[in-house]
Amino acid sequence: MSTEEPRVIKVFEDLLETPQNRLVEQASQDGRIPIGYSCSFVPEALLMADRLFPVRLHAPGVAGTELADNYLSSLVCSYTRSILEFAMDDRYDLIRGWVTVPSCAHMQRFIDNLEYLKRPDFIHVIDAPRKVNESTLKWHEEELHMLADKLSSHFSVDMGKASLMKAIDEWNRFCVIMNRIGDLRKTPNPPITGSEFHRVVMASLASPKDLILPHIEAFYREIENRESTRKYRARLMVVGGHLHDPEFIRIIESQGGLVVADRFCTGSIPGLIPVHVNGDPIRALAEHTFEKTLCPRMMEDFDRRLNNILDTVKEYRVDGVVIEIIKFCDLWGVDSMPLVSALRKVGIPVLKLEREYRTTGEGQLRTRVQAFIESMGR
Amino acid sequence: MFVAGCDVGSLSAKAVIMKDENIIASHVIFARPEPAESARTVMEGALNKACLTMEDISYCVGTGYGRNSISFAQAAESEIACHGKGAQWLKPQVRMVIDIGGQDAKAIRIDETGRVLRYAYNDRCASGTGRFLEVMAGSMGIELNDMGEVSSQAKNPVSLSNQCVVFAETEIISLINAGRDLSDIVGGLHKALSHRVASLARSIELESEITMTGGVAKNQGMFKSLQEALGVKLVCMDTDPQIIGAVGAALMARQAAAENG
Repeated sequence: MSTEEPRVIKVFEDLLETPQNRLVEQASQDGRIPIGYSCSFVPEALLMADRLFPVRLHAPGVAGTELADNYLSSLVCSYTRSILEFAMDDRYDLIRGWVTVPSCAHMQRFIDNLEYLKRPDFIHVIDAPRKVNESTLKWHEEELHMLADKLSSHFSVDMGKASLMKAIDEWNRFCVIMNRIGDLRKTPNPPITGSEFHRVVMASLASPKDLILPHIEAFYREIENRESTRKYRARLMVVGGHLHDPEFIRIIESQGGLVVADRFCTGSIPGLIPVHVNGDPIRALAEHTFEKTLCPRMMEDFDRRLNNILDTVKEYRVDGVVIEIIKFCDLWGVDSMPLVSALRKVGIPVLKLEREYRTTGEGQLRTRVQAFIESMGR
Repeated sequence: MFVAGCDVGSLSAKAVIMKDENIIASHVIFARPEPAESARTVMEGALNKACLTMEDISYCVGTGYGRNSISFAQAAESEIACHGKGAQWLKPQVRMVIDIGGQDAKAIRIDETGRVLRYAYNDRCASGTGRFLEVMAGSMGIELNDMGEVSSQAKNPVSLSNQCVVFAETEIISLINAGRDLSDIVGGLHKALSHRVASLARSIELESEITMTGGVAKNQGMFKSLQEALGVKLVCMDTDPQIIGAVGAALMARQAAAENG
């Protein structure tokens, strides 16, 4: 029984301090090829083939976006602004290729400016469909084939079936261990906090999976038999788009909430699910992409997004849902309105928070969360 | 048994001391740069008025933005919960509280026990806050406390097109230069602020019994203007509306002291 932070957590903290951590540096020095990506519609497993490895673009510690502000309108979200700032400031200098999805107009502006300002040797935009059906699945499969071919010819990497199957197998091993850790959060006294879990997820998304896996396994061994005596007033689920900074969750938890489930772009639900291959691996990756993304950019898919939250609330015994939206995010801004109503209609308390990409306004955030937990009668 | 509530806000700090069912002392000061210092000073003021020392206080609850810096408080609660609790205790029929503080405005719906049901909060923009009035008073060269009286003379309140504090200040200077009457300008300011706060309150559905708390509630011009914007007669507090949060904190302290024996 312990309320102490797991010892291994420090490793993940360190890996989150820079946009290109020491594992990325190590892999690059070994001749491997880091590919930057910014959206869950990019199939990470595809970017794990042969010498490639994916690095989720994040901007830890971003203090200002003076460079990016010259090129982006004031209504573009602070996430887009922050990663363009880091790109312009050569903070992603190890990244050798960029794979993006114009999931929203803001991200399209990032891609346009990146191409115009940095002229990268390799940049690929996946034209991901906005509906899920058999035709769009075929479309997405073709898109992934195009990407695989382009990667293969540009970087001289093996994107053949055996190579992809090996990459998928590694992705699946990563997902299995992450899901085991995630399952521990369903218990009445989870051995880890939401902030600790998020540090592991974010560090993993920004690192070569094979190099970070031993740390994740060590982390799991350390916590699997722990039972926390930490007191909490309410079990919370966080829902929304990009959330990179674990500090945001730490502040929520400082007010007596325990974040047990994370349904956001950089969370584990449903982002970290294994790929099921039954034939062509590219086809499997196309299916997997649709399965693991519950993004408001997708049309006629609201019920699936809502039901995923409702199922998670039951499975993780969630008392209340916190919806976090980066200011000016059109997709989440619109989707959150019916989402709030639908959740309240079935009696789930909801707190909607508008925020900036980096965590700011700690005092206001604390007050809102504390009042939310109080309003739940806890 | 004596209990206390200490509310350290951005512009002012408030302390209330209660014995049983009665408020026996309260004190309000302008906030100091350090929240801890504000808390100490305001509590000393309240203790002096009650002829008590801190050792006499069985339990103290802190609230407000500085609530985590109050060393002598045994617990910290959000100002949203405290305003709800305090307002309902003083006026049991109240089901909605509109608190306009120095750096934020809140609309809080409560149940018959004072528990918060829903709330809306504006803390990202100064235009719906007491700070808005303070800046405007400064630009017009009048005292903040005189704004209510000045606005009572308004015959034709101006219509302000800017909600942003910075641009509204520029607009007011233009209106002064254009020779508009100060009372009409102040009346227009109250109207603009009221409509913004009323819209915040409507976002969580209005109740019929609404009161206004916080320092701005002392401004009769603002009180009247908010009534008009909401289309509801507000419940008037008999107690200083600025100390309602501290009263709520003291009530929570009383409850905690009773539970802890």
